[in-house]
Amino acid sequence: MHNTNTLTTDVVIIGAGPAGLSAAIHLADEFQKIGESKRIIVIEKGNSIGAHILSGAIIKTDAFKELLSQEEFDNLPFDCEVTEDTTFKLSEHGAFALPFHPPVMDNLGYKIASLCQICRYLATLAESRGVEIYSGFSVNELLYENNTVIGVKTIDTGVNHHGEKQKNFQEGTSVFASLIILAEGTRGTLAKQLETKFHLSQNVEPQVYSLGIKELWSVPEGTIKEGTVYHTFGYPLKREFGGGFVYGLKENKVAVGFAVGLDYEDPTFDIYKVMQVWKQHPQIATILKEGTLIEFGAKTIPEGGWKAIPKLYTNNVLLVGDSAGFVAMPALKGIHLAVTSGMCAAKTAVLAFQRKDTSETSLSNYKALIDQSRIRSEMYPYRNFRAVMSEGMVVGALKFGVQLVTNGACLLTPKLKRDNLTLQKITEFHDTPFAQRFEGKLESDKKLTFNKVTSVFYSGTQHDEEQPVHLQIADMNAFREINMKQYGTACQYFCPADVYEEHHDREGNLSLKIHAENCVHCKTCDIKAPNSAITWMTPYGGDGPQYQNM
Amino acid sequence: MTTIISLMKQVPLPSQMRMGEDGLMDRTKAKSIINVDCSFALEAGLQLRGMMEDARLIVCSMGPPSFEQSLKTALAMGYDEAYLLSDRKLGGSDTFTTGLAISKMLRHLGFGRGLNEDFIVVAGRQTSDGDTAHVPSQVAENLDIPQATFIEDVQFKEGKIIARRIIEGGYQILRLPIPCTLSLTPTGIPPRRPSLAGAVRARSSQITIFSINDIDLAEEKAGLIGSPTIVAKVANIKSERAPIVMSTGADSKALVDDLIHSMKHGKNSLEAVVKKEAKAAVIPEAYETVDFRNGASGVLTWAEVASGKIARSSLELLTPAKKLASALDPGTKVRTVLIGSSLEELAQELIYHGSDEVIVIEDERLNEYRILPFAAIFEQVIKAYKPEIALFAATTAGRELAPRIGVKTQSGVTADCTALEIGVHVDNKKKVVYAPILESRRPTYGESKLATILGFVCPQISTARAGTFEVPLRDENRVGVVTPFVPKLGEKEFVTEILETVRGEGGLSSLFEADVIVTGGRGAIGDDMALVKQLSAALKEHGIKSEWAVSRPVVDLGLCEYARQIGQTGKTVRPKVYIAVGISGAIQHIAGMKEAETIVAINHNAKESIFSNADFGIVGEYEEIMPELIEAVKNGFVFGLDAK
Repeated sequence: MHNTNTLTTDVVIIGAGPAGLSAAIHLADEFQKIGESKRIIVIEKGNSIGAHILSGAIIKTDAFKELLSQEEFDNLPFDCEVTEDTTFKLSEHGAFALPFHPPVMDNLGYKIASLCQICRYLATLAESRGVEIYSGFSVNELLYENNTVIGVKTIDTGVNHHGEKQKNFQEGTSVFASLIILAEGTRGTLAKQLETKFHLSQNVEPQVYSLGIKELWSVPEGTIKEGTVYHTFGYPLKREFGGGFVYGLKENKVAVGFAVGLDYEDPTFDIYKVMQVWKQHPQIATILKEGTLIEFGAKTIPEGGWKAIPKLYTNNVLLVGDSAGFVAMPALKGIHLAVTSGMCAAKTAVLAFQRKDTSETSLSNYKALIDQSRIRSEMYPYRNFRAVMSEGMVVGALKFGVQLVTNGACLLTPKLKRDNLTLQKITEFHDTPFAQRFEGKLESDKKLTFNKVTSVFYSGTQHDEEQPVHLQIADMNAFREINMKQYGTACQYFCPADVYEEHHDREGNLSLKIHAENCVHCKTCDIKAPNSAITWMTPYGGDGPQYQNM
Repeated sequence: MTTIISLMKQVPLPSQMRMGEDGLMDRTKAKSIINVDCSFALEAGLQLRGMMEDARLIVCSMGPPSFEQSLKTALAMGYDEAYLLSDRKLGGSDTFTTGLAISKMLRHLGFGRGLNEDFIVVAGRQTSDGDTAHVPSQVAENLDIPQATFIEDVQFKEGKIIARRIIEGGYQILRLPIPCTLSLTPTGIPPRRPSLAGAVRARSSQITIFSINDIDLAEEKAGLIGSPTIVAKVANIKSERAPIVMSTGADSKALVDDLIHSMKHGKNSLEAVVKKEAKAAVIPEAYETVDFRNGASGVLTWAEVASGKIARSSLELLTPAKKLASALDPGTKVRTVLIGSSLEELAQELIYHGSDEVIVIEDERLNEYRILPFAAIFEQVIKAYKPEIALFAATTAGRELAPRIGVKTQSGVTADCTALEIGVHVDNKKKVVYAPILESRRPTYGESKLATILGFVCPQISTARAGTFEVPLRDENRVGVVTPFVPKLGEKEFVTEILETVRGEGGLSSLFEADVIVTGGRGAIGDDMALVKQLSAALKEHGIKSEWAVSRPVVDLGLCEYARQIGQTGKTVRPKVYIAVGISGAIQHIAGMKEAETIVAINHNAKESIFSNADFGIVGEYEEIMPELIEAVKNGFVFGLDAK
């Protein structure tokens, strides 16, 4: 007798981040304007809203002004306003404050915030508009009819390690929707499937990513003023693209983070450890040395820029936010673009519903709206930024200087390579290997620097152990021969959460242990593993980190 | 159509539990979850429905309005209706009043004798913020229906319930008629995750909220006022273990060699701590002393019989029983109830161990413990003998029998005590002194606190944790009386059938008598405990009394029988050497082993709290350390014990 396991809705949005929630809010507003009543469902894999949200975050607020009423805007839970903004070039022992930085990288007047908190707030605004939000549900599957997406399905639960149904098996719910908005964030599982099936990235540059690691600290009174922003480049990086940030927050909190482009070459390179080395630099250590770690998290950032944006729509589907690659470089800001893309998607959707036509043709209007929006005006001029930076920060900086004058045009722009193609084999890599490069700085003191497992604890991560491993390796033999033997099990280094462990038994046999329960959902492995050998699938809903104020 | 009624409690996350100054739970600060055992009951309800043609599933809870979120989860899992009994007047309820209030709610919903009798109550075994396991029993008694507690598997067959009940050292298969009450351990089928469709349904479902007036519960029967027991005081429990000696070494072999070396030198010792003399309570002279016993006298205990022998835990019980009797009026007797057949020798044993009078009930039908006739017998014995105190071992039988009796006598029960003393209670409000009174002390809030519970209705009933007290010395010169007792038992007491009783190897006694216990935790399950068993076996080769055991997660995962579980809800052991392998050191586990003379911990994570509670430690993968350790034992290393 008991109730079918299907739902029907007008719109389903996958992911309750800034893009998904903005789409939901604006959809509700726009439908209300024209007196239409449509069902809008948002599905979020985090245990609660914000649990899987991580960002710096310095926010350009203009997009929120467009999205919200004045009163709602005034109540946005920003932490503080940026009052001081300095960029440092670090050497191993010293720091040089740049006298100026390109205006595009200036942050004065912007707001510092925890994006977790912002999203929690946006969720209440969406719900007050009648949007239904369900957190703790994972979606791994698009539903098709005649090769057209007609919905999504949440994952089956009550399945053991080997994929066998258990007595508490619960089949996933099929959600049939006229329109599906993919707002999964960076390297979305469904977005990836869709791109592959419909070749959405066919005519664009490959998307490239950085891995960003963030820590939230509590420091003694007077250590750093709220609103103080430092960005660093240089040490500990050499050729690699990336740098660190320090944001002074209210109540003696400070957010520190480090992001590195995943196009590096050393198979033993370890971004988590780079951040630990960076924290030992006097410029940073001074701020943190008397403090205590409160929270830890990691996430990748799509930074391929304008040229890497895939086709943004197909029949019944729109891509928004990080899932579409809307991140403005070199400022590395995507939140306001996520909001804008959500609004563009909402406008497109309302028009499509009025026409009763959500086909690709009807949705193509989305691209036009994006082109008219700040997404293009902020991304297009820097379309070649990331590509020149892949040549190293010195050459890159010179070429970027040229682009600032030419509105982004650049001679000799190299082609971006997928991040999983840049890694060199152990035998091919001839530069100083990672361990040697940072010798003496890789031990954790458990005060300023930590190990990965300890940090994972500070992310609140947990996973049900009774489920199929969500990090899928299709061909274990090939993985052992290529990824482990040739690339030295690079995943044990690039994963910031100690998910991958190389294991040698007493007979000397090599095997991989996957500690899936540590996974903080950053998706680096899906991006960086040579041969695309690892596929990141969503585990059970509610599993993963429990970010509070990331 | 049968109705399946799931009783559910929302609890604070165990790691975030705090207690208010008044000794009552402060729920405001901790994140809340569905009590783990209750979530297994919710699943059991759903499973039962799957075995029936059709059933109505309802979920009931009692607590503040914030419990609605958990009731919504139950609805999302597939429950049809949800009811919450929520009333400020219920604040401070002990288990007795909780059981009564819930039963009243069920009757109000139309379930009970003389009303709709086609229902099954499923509940969690116990809650993580109370750990008493009383309420399911008390609901069953209040509704006058049969019960089966500590259930790990439940089936519905031919109109009856087949339940697999955990007993000491094994399990029992019971067949119960409907209506009945079942309480589920977290060893069965884990709760399903709600489907999205379920969550959507739950979102629009209504939860019915009752006040005590709605269910016709009198104010004086509710909350603190209605509770026959109170929490009189709560004290911190402090660790008394010296800092650990950690092994160092480059590889597994070196680590084990260093352990052997360190153990020869002995463990660290604590600087002597001067214990403060406890201050005697000052009693104002003007206060009147109330003796609430009304002529009740004597300490009654139950001698549990398993496989024709008296359970060790029942013999242990005679230690506090004798001590309490001697602290009471001169001539206070210890009486022990012994039920079964061919009991003469056993009765003598009880006298040798300290009983003054053994009340013997000979009945072939009662060779195995059965809740209904046993509860009826105790009701009659208590009526006849009017004891002031009744003690039960906190076995799975004692923990369900005592609360059922506590409802019959209206006196409530204190669960799982580790200390029992006679004291006085000063009531400054009423300006009276209650004396003498039984002070039952029990660890609570994850073993971090010791609560003292008092009851004001005789008999004052407590259950005592197995392994806490020593078995009294056997003295063949002791004399006592054996008195036959013939209870009145009807058909009604025998409606539950025992289909099968299985007691495995390594039940109660071997763990209590072992000199070495090798215990495997969650971090040692990779090889199905093979290395843990091998180490124990290797020690046995040297003539060492060795046993292996596990921590709670291993039992919860279904990898080992409950009888081998060490810890708060398992056994308390005190071997000479305790070897903890892959054990994190949850405070509940520490409670069961901290009395060991020497504790050796092996864990790959140096941060685990087991290392704060051990004398010697090795950080390493157990798969690599254990083979070296086993090798060392084979070569003669026996942890400093005498090999035979």
